[in-house]
Amino acid sequence: MAFSTRVPAMSEQIATAGGMAAAPFARWLGWISQRSTLVTGLVISGLILFIGFAAPFLYHVDPYAIHPAHALEAPSWAFPFGTDELGRDELALLLSGGFATLVVALPAAILAFVVGVTYGLASGLAPAWVDRLMMRLLDAVLALPSLIILIFFASLVTLNNTSLILLLGFISWPGLARLVRNETLAQRGRDFVLAAEQMGAGRVYVARVHLLRVMAPVLVVNGTFMVGDSVFALSALSFLGLGVQPPQVSWGSLLESALDIIALDPWWLILPPGLLVFGSLLAASLTGQGLLQRWGNNR
Amino acid sequence: MIKMVTTRLASSTLTIFILVTMVFFMVHLTPGGPAYSILGQKATAASVANLNARLGLDQPLLKQYGIWWWHLAQGQLGYSYLLNRPVGQLLWQYELNTLVFYTVSIVVSTVLSILLGLVQGVYFGRWPAKIIGGLQLGFYALPAFFVAAMLVLWFSVDLPWLPASGITNLRLPSPTIASYAAHLVLPVTTITLLTVSSLSRYFGEAVHEELAKDYVRTARAKGVSFPAILFGHVLRNALRPLVTILGLSFPYIFTGGVIVESVFNYPGLGWLMWRSALSQDYPILIAIVLIIGILTVLGNLLADLVNGLLDPRASYE
Repeated sequence: MAFSTRVPAMSEQIATAGGMAAAPFARWLGWISQRSTLVTGLVISGLILFIGFAAPFLYHVDPYAIHPAHALEAPSWAFPFGTDELGRDELALLLSGGFATLVVALPAAILAFVVGVTYGLASGLAPAWVDRLMMRLLDAVLALPSLIILIFFASLVTLNNTSLILLLGFISWPGLARLVRNETLAQRGRDFVLAAEQMGAGRVYVARVHLLRVMAPVLVVNGTFMVGDSVFALSALSFLGLGVQPPQVSWGSLLESALDIIALDPWWLILPPGLLVFGSLLAASLTGQGLLQRWGNNR
Repeated sequence: MIKMVTTRLASSTLTIFILVTMVFFMVHLTPGGPAYSILGQKATAASVANLNARLGLDQPLLKQYGIWWWHLAQGQLGYSYLLNRPVGQLLWQYELNTLVFYTVSIVVSTVLSILLGLVQGVYFGRWPAKIIGGLQLGFYALPAFFVAAMLVLWFSVDLPWLPASGITNLRLPSPTIASYAAHLVLPVTTITLLTVSSLSRYFGEAVHEELAKDYVRTARAKGVSFPAILFGHVLRNALRPLVTILGLSFPYIFTGGVIVESVFNYPGLGWLMWRSALSQDYPILIAIVLIIGILTVLGNLLADLVNGLLDPRASYE
C-alpha cells in the first residue's frame, strides 16, 4: 500500500489504569484511558460515518438549489456553513459530498481487502515457482505509487461509482497481499499447520481455519488503515478531476472548486472538506493504532 | 558491492518491463481508443479511421507493441496527440523543473527530519519528544491538497507574501533567481510538512535505539562528552535507516508532487501527468509512468549504495 509508512501512535502517553479503581465510573474511566487511541479513533470514525450516512436524513436542504442573491456568503444563520460561488448551501453540499465519497471508498476498501487477502494466501500456499511469479507481478504494481496508477487508469475509463470502486479496489491491494503472503509463509511451518496437513487437511481448509484465524489481528488492523487510504485516494482523485464526476460533488471536488476562487478568500469552502478528509485519515490511523496496541502484546 | 548492484538492476529492469507492458496493453485495449479523445465524441468513423492510420493505431496490437519498444530503444517516446510535439522534447523542460523542486524539497525535509529526530531521540519520553510525536501524527494524516490549499489561503491571499502559482513571474522582462525561489517556497513547504512527519519519526526512533547501545555507554564511561557521542557516533549509525526510508519514500514524494504541482500550477512532471490524464494524451502518460518507475528504482538503488558507503557491512548482506 502506498501509505505504509505508519507513524506509530503515542503509546507512551497512555496512562496505565490503577488497579485500585473501585467505583464503576472510575473503572470505566480507567478502561477508556487505557484505550484512548482506540476510543478517539472510533469516535471520529462514528462522526465521519454519521456525516456521510445519517445526516442527509436530518438536514433537508437541496444541495443543488441555487441562491444567486446569496452567492459566496460566509457562514450565517440561514447558511450554517456559508454558500459557494453559485449560492448553493455548503452544508448540504458537504453532506451530499460525504455520502458520494463514502459510498465509493468503503466498498473499494472492502474489495481491495478481499483481493489482497486472496492473492496473498494463494501466493503463500502455491508452489514456489508460482509464488515467485506472483510476487514479481506484485513488484511491478508496487514499483509505482498507487496514486500514479490510479490517475493513469482513471483517464482510461468512463468514471462512475462502479468503475471507481473497481479501480480503487483493484489497485490498492498489493501492500496487503505482500503482508499476507509473508505471514502465510511464516505460519505455514508452524506445528499446528503441519499437524493439520498431516491429518489430511487441504490447502483451502488450512487457509480458512488456521491461517486466517491466526492472521486476524494483522488483517483487521491493516483493513482499518485501508479504509482511510481509500477515502484519501478517492478524494485526491476527485480533487484532480479524475474521481467523482460533476454534477455530483465530493469532498475532494469541493476543495478543488474552492481553489479556483481562492483569491476571494473563501475559507469556509476550504476548511470543512479538508478537515473531513483529514478526519477520515486520522480516524482510520488512530483506530488501527489502537487495535495494534491492544493486540500487539498477544503475538 | 558490484554483484549486489547488478542483481538489483536486473530485477528492477524486469519489474519495469512488466509494468510498461501492462500499461501499454491497458491503454490499447480500451474501447474507442485515443482517437475519440482527440477528435471528440462527435467524430465520424472516417475521420477516426484516418487518424488511426496516421498515428499507426490501426496496426495489429503486437506489431504496435514491437514498434513501440523499437522506438523506445532509439530514444523516441512518440508524439503527444494533443500538443503535436515529440514527447521527449516536451518532457525535458518539465523534468528539469521537477528535479529542482524535488531536490530542494528532499534536502530541506532531510535536514529538518534530522534536527527533529535528534531532539526526539535524546528527549525520548519527555515533553519535547511528546510534542514532536503529536505533530508527526497530525501532519501524517493531513492530505497534501488540504495543506497546499491552506498555505495558499494564508500566505498568498490573507497575507500576500508569496506567489500562489506558476514557476516565475512572467511579467518581469527577465525572470530573476529570487522570483523562481519565491515560487518554490509554498510547494516545497507543503512537501516538507508531509515528508518530515514520517521521516523524522523513523530517525527519532533510530537515534533512541542507538543511544541505548553498549558503545554509547562505553564511550560515556570513558568520559567522552555527550555532543561528541551524539554527533560522532550515534548520528552516523542512525542515518542508515533514514537513507533507506528516503530511498523508499521517493515514489510517495512524487505522489504528493502530482497534487502539489497541480495546486500551484508548477510546470513539472506531475503537473504534465495531470493535464495529460485529463485530456487522455497517452504517449505522454506512458512516458511519465516509465520515468517515475525508473526514478523509483534508481532511488532505491541509490539508497543501497549510500548505505554501503555509510556501513560497509551492508553491502555484504
